Amino acid sequence: MHDQLFWFFSIAMLLSGLLVILSRNPVNSAMFLVVAMCFMAGLFVLLEAHFLAIIQILVYAGAVMVLFLFVIMFLDLKAERRRRFRILTFGGGIIVAAAFMVKVHDVVEDMPLVAAKGVAGTTEAVGRLLFTRYLLPFEVASLLLLVAVVGVVLLSKRDLK
Amino acid sequence: MIPVVLPHYLVVSAALFSLGLAGVIIRRNALVIFMSLELMLNAANLALAAFSRYNGSLHGHVLVFFIITVAAAEVAVGLAIIVALFRRRKSVNVDELTSMRL
Amino acid sequence: MTDFPLAFDAARSYRRVNVSAELSQYIPVGLLILIAIAFAAGMLLASTALGQKGRRPAVKDTPYECGMIPVGDAHMRFPVKFHIVATLFILFDIEVVFLYPWAVVFKPLLKDPQTGMTIFTSMLTFLGILFVGYVYCWKKGALDWAPRRETPQPPA
Repeated sequence: MHDQLFWFFSIAMLLSGLLVILSRNPVNSAMFLVVAMCFMAGLFVLLEAHFLAIIQILVYAGAVMVLFLFVIMFLDLKAERRRRFRILTFGGGIIVAAAFMVKVHDVVEDMPLVAAKGVAGTTEAVGRLLFTRYLLPFEVASLLLLVAVVGVVLLSKRDLK
Repeated sequence: MIPVVLPHYLVVSAALFSLGLAGVIIRRNALVIFMSLELMLNAANLALAAFSRYNGSLHGHVLVFFIITVAAAEVAVGLAIIVALFRRRKSVNVDELTSMRL
Repeated sequence: MTDFPLAFDAARSYRRVNVSAELSQYIPVGLLILIAIAFAAGMLLASTALGQKGRRPAVKDTPYECGMIPVGDAHMRFPVKFHIVATLFILFDIEVVFLYPWAVVFKPLLKDPQTGMTIFTSMLTFLGILFVGYVYCWKKGALDWAPRRETPQPPA
């Protein structure tokens, strides 16, 4: 069951990822990105990262993509649809991606094969680690969010008046 | 059928990462480039979660959580920059954005 | 040699962890997804199967807007105000997401002599730092819907 689900989730995720970068219309790209995020959450479930799967849906598919769609609504869509891909950049993109895949295959080839170890990433287990070992990064995260809040308000300062 | 082990997850992660990389290079729309960046971040998250699972530790999960936090902050600021840019230049095409000034 | 070199060793060293027990928790989630897909597909199918066939003048294809004739299309530009609120929502959404694991581990870690009150004060610091940001965007008027008036309106 695990293996079949793995193939289903990963192939579906990669297909929707492909459609993200190939769709002419940014709205379609955003929708396929939501689908890719949901399948990624499925892969997290298979990896027993239960907490991460929920966070993935909650933050990425829920909040981040809503903001993307907001911005797409805000921008002018019609000029975008007519644009065509250029051969040179298209070929360049494929070549770089393929070269990266070849390098990764070299790394994966010599990898020792170990069985999965049964640690479940439940909310409690992750939270216990987060609030003991990673207490300082947790506080720094709040500073980062503060900086982001100030940055967003400053960047859209002109619209507030 | 080969049982699914760590390299399978890593190859899927690498494939997703190269999709994002190709998207950054191919697309000229700043918004779609941003979405491709999200794909690449997600690929890194998948690799971290897979390493965690096959090493029997949860440190990778905490790291993924922080990456998601940073990604959300990055999306918020980045999209604010794109909106400000669009209001000034009436375009989100990266080919037309050649100067560092807004 | 096959294209994927891990085939043979993997089959030997792989100990099958009992995943189906873990995955069975997600059966309700899967059922919910299936029902949602079936509901949406059923609605679309029902409207094509039961709907009236025949002539379709252009006015029939316009979106229904409470009986009024629609003005323009939905692809209009939205006020940037909405965008600021949506952006700030994401940032404070992340703050709330940090509260979930905290709430789950709060009681056990409070009793733990090693952490004790740290679990409480650390979250207080976290919320305090973000409260500064909240006050900042409130004072800057990022949360106001209507444009701010400099002079108060004279009484009518």
